[in-house]
Amino acid sequence: MSAGLRRLGGVIREALAAAASSPIASIATIIMVAGLCATVLLTTGRTVGAEQAVLGSIDSAGTRTTIVRAEPAAGLTSSVVTRLSTVDGIEWVAAFGPAFDVTNTLIPDGTKVAARFAYGAHLTSIGIPESSALPGSTAWGTALSLGQLGLVDHAGSVTNQSGANYPVAGQMDIPDWLGFLEPALFVPRAPVEPEPVAVLVVVAERPDLVAAVAPAVQSLLAVDDPTKITITTSEALAQLRALVQGQLGAFGRGLVLLILAVSGLLVAAILTGLVTLRRKDFGRRRALGATRGLIVSILLTQTLVLATLGAALGSGVASMVLAFSGDPLPGLAFTAAIAVLAIAVSVVAALIPAVVAARRDPIRELRVP
Amino acid sequence: MPALLDARDLTFGYESTVPLLDQWSASFNAGEVVAITGPSGRGKSTLLYLLGLMLAPAAGQVLLDGEPVQSLPDRARARLRARQFGFVFQDAALDATRTVLDNVLETALYRGESRSEAVPVAEGLLERFGVQLRSEAKPGQVSGGQAQRIALCRALLGTPRILLADEPTGNLDPASSDVVVDAFHEHADSGATVIVVTHDPVLVERCDRSITL
Repeated sequence: MSAGLRRLGGVIREALAAAASSPIASIATIIMVAGLCATVLLTTGRTVGAEQAVLGSIDSAGTRTTIVRAEPAAGLTSSVVTRLSTVDGIEWVAAFGPAFDVTNTLIPDGTKVAARFAYGAHLTSIGIPESSALPGSTAWGTALSLGQLGLVDHAGSVTNQSGANYPVAGQMDIPDWLGFLEPALFVPRAPVEPEPVAVLVVVAERPDLVAAVAPAVQSLLAVDDPTKITITTSEALAQLRALVQGQLGAFGRGLVLLILAVSGLLVAAILTGLVTLRRKDFGRRRALGATRGLIVSILLTQTLVLATLGAALGSGVASMVLAFSGDPLPGLAFTAAIAVLAIAVSVVAALIPAVVAARRDPIRELRVP
Repeated sequence: MPALLDARDLTFGYESTVPLLDQWSASFNAGEVVAITGPSGRGKSTLLYLLGLMLAPAAGQVLLDGEPVQSLPDRARARLRARQFGFVFQDAALDATRTVLDNVLETALYRGESRSEAVPVAEGLLERFGVQLRSEAKPGQVSGGQAQRIALCRALLGTPRILLADEPTGNLDPASSDVVVDAFHEHADSGATVIVVTHDPVLVERCDRSITL
């Protein structure tokens, strides 16, 4: 075993022994850190969970979308998708042609559903493969549209009023922000010549980019008659989202900082008390040859071990309480971040008492009765 | 050839106008057991701490193998204390929360030695000095004499070149004292210097020489 590993093993053994030899201070430290984590998770964590739920609801309404509706006279074509594919800040774009009614080929008098030609490379994200056996003539439907057409097993075909037949290849899942196209049946196409487009959906990478993306989209539409175009953006929703996130986030951050500061002070106070009680111990160690660095290492390792136990305990208990009470959980990343922060604050809080202990005059401490 | 340990013109006082030690000098050679005697309050223990690099003198130097060591950085002095010196404090200064074996093994960590390799040596020392206890026994369960012998075992674990002992036989019966003094001579014969602060005339008599403060 290398000298470094041997030293590390020795430090850990001494730290564990020191923690075991001061059970009251050790338990107090564990409870303090556990309380810190539990308090943060039960207050800010609950807020974060609620914030995520609220933001999720807002996002499902489409906080990043720009929707362009074009009348036939506008002259909007499928080539717009290619032009928009080079714009920064756009995550998803697709164009849809004018709606045309289709029915189940086997039930000509059945329910009519509005089908649309769909254009764009991002259609794969809603379950439509990039290529199919019959390119340009295969249809994909949502559960709602396929149900209405009586194609519950996703097999069969649909026929339009002109008699054109489109085999149904499968079911697709569309996000909430395409919900306005329901009941949706898309026929993906990659035409050589531009085809007319009635609806263009553009999704920005972030809600705050909507305000910048919308004008860019407008400038690249290249339509014949701009008066026949209607553009709807989610900018208002994005602003609401930012407001909700900002207010809840600021509240949470403030509370976390306050709790961390108070807990850090209490951990420092506990360790200062512990160091004072064990003055003679540290004096003996120094007199017998322990370096200051070793004394600091032992105390910080002791705090690290106790704080880790406390963080695990507090996080576990708080997560169980939230789960049992039916409150939204703040998520693993937030929980882990709070635990790591609590441990870090404890170790930093222990640093000053540890350095004080290491810098004391060994003989003066040994003579403490 | 320089003395193993040299004190040159040491001056020291505890916040008092009259220093306990005023330009005090002495040399300690390998192979000898030296007693330091004198009335209480004359600075015998303080001298031991100065020689053991635990206290810094107001003036003067401590030399190890002819090299001044008092002015070394704290880390270097701590390493010297761990590797070159052994200490037996007047009150044993054991850790009451740890087992007897852990107390003897304490300095192995400071020297960076393997605990597993040090355990049989520690057990051998405990047996030699007649401290055969349950492995989980703690200092609170032993007598003053046993505590002093445990402290001696701790001091001898690293076979230090300089052994400093403060009233090492103060709590011992004559038979145990003899064992301890024999151990001092045996250790000195291995090339070390043993410096003992004592009021015990029998111990002084058995030392190679004595210095009175």
